[in-house]
Amino acid sequence: MKRDPDPIGDAGLQFFGRMSASISHELKNALAIIKENAGLLDDYVAMMGKGTPIDPQRFQTIAQRIDGQTRRADTIIKDLNQFAHSVDNSSKPVDLNNILELLVALHRRPAAMMQVSLEPRPADSAVVITTAPFLLLNALGLILAFAFKTVPAEAVVTIAVRMDSSEAEICFGGLKALADLSTDQFPGDHENALLTVLDAKAIINAAHCQIIVRLPLPQ
Amino acid sequence: MHVLLVDDEEELASALAERLNMRDIETDWVTSCDGALEKVISTTYDLAVLDMKMPKMNGLELKARLQERSPQLKFIFVTGYVSEMDFEQVACQAGEECYLVKPVDINLLIERMNDLMGHPGGES
Repeated sequence: MKRDPDPIGDAGLQFFGRMSASISHELKNALAIIKENAGLLDDYVAMMGKGTPIDPQRFQTIAQRIDGQTRRADTIIKDLNQFAHSVDNSSKPVDLNNILELLVALHRRPAAMMQVSLEPRPADSAVVITTAPFLLLNALGLILAFAFKTVPAEAVVTIAVRMDSSEAEICFGGLKALADLSTDQFPGDHENALLTVLDAKAIINAAHCQIIVRLPLPQ
Repeated sequence: MHVLLVDDEEELASALAERLNMRDIETDWVTSCDGALEKVISTTYDLAVLDMKMPKMNGLELKARLQERSPQLKFIFVTGYVSEMDFEQVACQAGEECYLVKPVDINLLIERMNDLMGHPGGES
């Protein structure tokens, strides 16, 4: 198949696929836990039917697990729905604190797989910019994927939203090995294409172990 | 049969292990690869049930490490891979290994365990 290069379209499809796969895995785990604990309840009921006394506390513990996992699955589906709707508008006002919350929710599992913790640090008040929500999430997701390569296991990656008079910024911190990586690894073609269309800049501050994304505020 | 169950989802591992123990299949569970590697030093297991996708290393990497310490171990992999294509891709990587997709049916799991251990009639 022949087609013109489309780095933004390609990056978007890959990002959507990656996130969907990760979310479906997490959902599968929640469902598996619900199924296993429902099975355990069945087993206890069968034992009681045969005259074995069962401590009622056991039933309560299992019911609580099922309730907890149902809530977990509900949250995952809400995040997925919010992510799916991020493509609805090519440009709209968004609060970067909300973008941060969704970004972290979508990346908790990939982070856990890398044995990395994410620490969101929202701004004290709303930081509203007009942008393409999906493209922004995609750019931030690519930066986060790169950030995972710059930290050892058990590390904490902080993601802070800030604002000054002319710009909003999202700062990825705690990237301890940033200075050790070759500068040609980041930003790549996809990141550059997305940052350009978002009118954003990515600044690597190796001395402070940070990558800062600057975004223009509405005039 | 003595089974080691490894899954980073604690509530899954503990419930499944409890159900297997109720069925007279002696089962221990851990939630990390390091925990599994420690367990096989102190205890002799016949079979390990491994989640394919865990932090630090995947099920196939863990299998290789466990086999170094416990060459007699047999393995069943449990995977959350949902699409047929994903599943086949992973299955191919592991050759003829035994795979089950989450959520696992406990009767099917026990059937596979008995097959692997050469107890097709269900003797454990």
